[in-house]
Amino acid sequence: MTNSNMTCEAFDSALPDYLEGTLDDSRRASVERHLSECVRCTSLLRDIENISKGAAGMPDLVPSRDLWQGIEARIAAPVIPLTARPERQRRFSPVWMGVAAAALIMSTAGITYMLTAHSLRSTLGSTVVTVAPANNRVATNTSPDSGAPAGAAAPTPANVGVTSTQPDGAASRAVQFDGPSGRPRLPASLASQSTADREHSDLVYGREIEMLQNIVSRRRTQLDSSTVAIIERNLQIIDAAIAQSRKALARDPASRMLDQQLTHALDKKVELLRTAAMLPAST
Amino acid sequence: MAAASNLAHVAMGDSTDVALAAGGDRQAFERLYQAHANRVFSLCARMAGSRTKGEELTQDVFVRTWEKLPQFRGESAFSTWLHRLAVNVVLNARKSDGKLASRADQGEEDEEPWDQVARAPMHLERMDLANAIAKLPAGARKIFVLHDVEGYKHEEIAEMMGITSGGSKAQLHRARLLLREALER
Repeated sequence: MTNSNMTCEAFDSALPDYLEGTLDDSRRASVERHLSECVRCTSLLRDIENISKGAAGMPDLVPSRDLWQGIEARIAAPVIPLTARPERQRRFSPVWMGVAAAALIMSTAGITYMLTAHSLRSTLGSTVVTVAPANNRVATNTSPDSGAPAGAAAPTPANVGVTSTQPDGAASRAVQFDGPSGRPRLPASLASQSTADREHSDLVYGREIEMLQNIVSRRRTQLDSSTVAIIERNLQIIDAAIAQSRKALARDPASRMLDQQLTHALDKKVELLRTAAMLPAST
Repeated sequence: MAAASNLAHVAMGDSTDVALAAGGDRQAFERLYQAHANRVFSLCARMAGSRTKGEELTQDVFVRTWEKLPQFRGESAFSTWLHRLAVNVVLNARKSDGKLASRADQGEEDEEPWDQVARAPMHLERMDLANAIAKLPAGARKIFVLHDVEGYKHEEIAEMMGITSGGSKAQLHRARLLLREALER
């Protein structure tokens, strides 16, 4: 429809500004004249105003489930806070800290190895530890009465695995330290063996994690703040996964899958902390 | 008058709980969650066009709030700060969450009805409007929700979404026309 002042197309173009109240007086008067004569445009304006009013008056929605539990699980993760240290408290150079971090990582990995190996020896009897030259993994001899083979090398956190075959020929149980990271890796056959094994594994992981967290905490001021934020966020996610796995495992202690899940999450935490501890300083 | 009094009470309660929560008090933070969850969820669900996605985003918003709370300086009301943060979380939700985006853009319906409201029985027209909003194209829907439901100005929307004020205005008009067309059927 048209009238002497404005077409419907021109009205459509002017409508957004008319609704916003940003038209100048002359244009607004034209729009209002058109509205007084055009049913189609009056209807359009009324409908849009009703839609806007309806939208503004919509009540709050209610979630269909309790969201707090999920939020709480994520924020309650028991992460040791990486509290910032004042600049004046920094007594060591970044280079020194890097060297110290590397040394501490080696020592924690060593301690982890010793704790794990000791426990397994006491659990499994006399186990002989050797190094397989071909793949840097450990070959083993069957206890109780065999000796170390010729050429056996001293174990290191990076290349050691402990394997034992039971006298009755049962499948082997092993703890291996994986590659240069030296982190403990518990295969499913061990991870799901017993509560005692789980407790021991928790102890080893706990010490490793605590030491690494101390290193990362001391290095915090050397790292880029956005990197620290990402690390903290990822630690929270991993801790939530650990907490969920522990909770599920408490309900179903015999579940091999849950045990593997927990071990995997702990591995991830150690790996992340190790990476953070070895990151170069941002300056 | 009573409503104003309630608002004042909420604001005063907020400020205490905000201070406690910023210091790590999870119970105080839970109280903040309880006070604001429905509004945040409404914003997230309507902007995302999905109640399910809205629930995920609401959790993300409150986790983010917990992390950022120590930075809240009280320069605005906590609810204003929280809602701005919620909008940012929704807008920054992974663009590669393409399944949701394409679903919404194709106008597929959410699995759940939109008629679960906090108070008062829903009018049929209101339910129709809610469903029609959910079926809008993602860009137009976000701008419509921010402007017509949440009351943000075009300049604020433009800043948050990284577009021009004119672009926001055009998208809003498009959204309104699409809604009118949908509601006339």
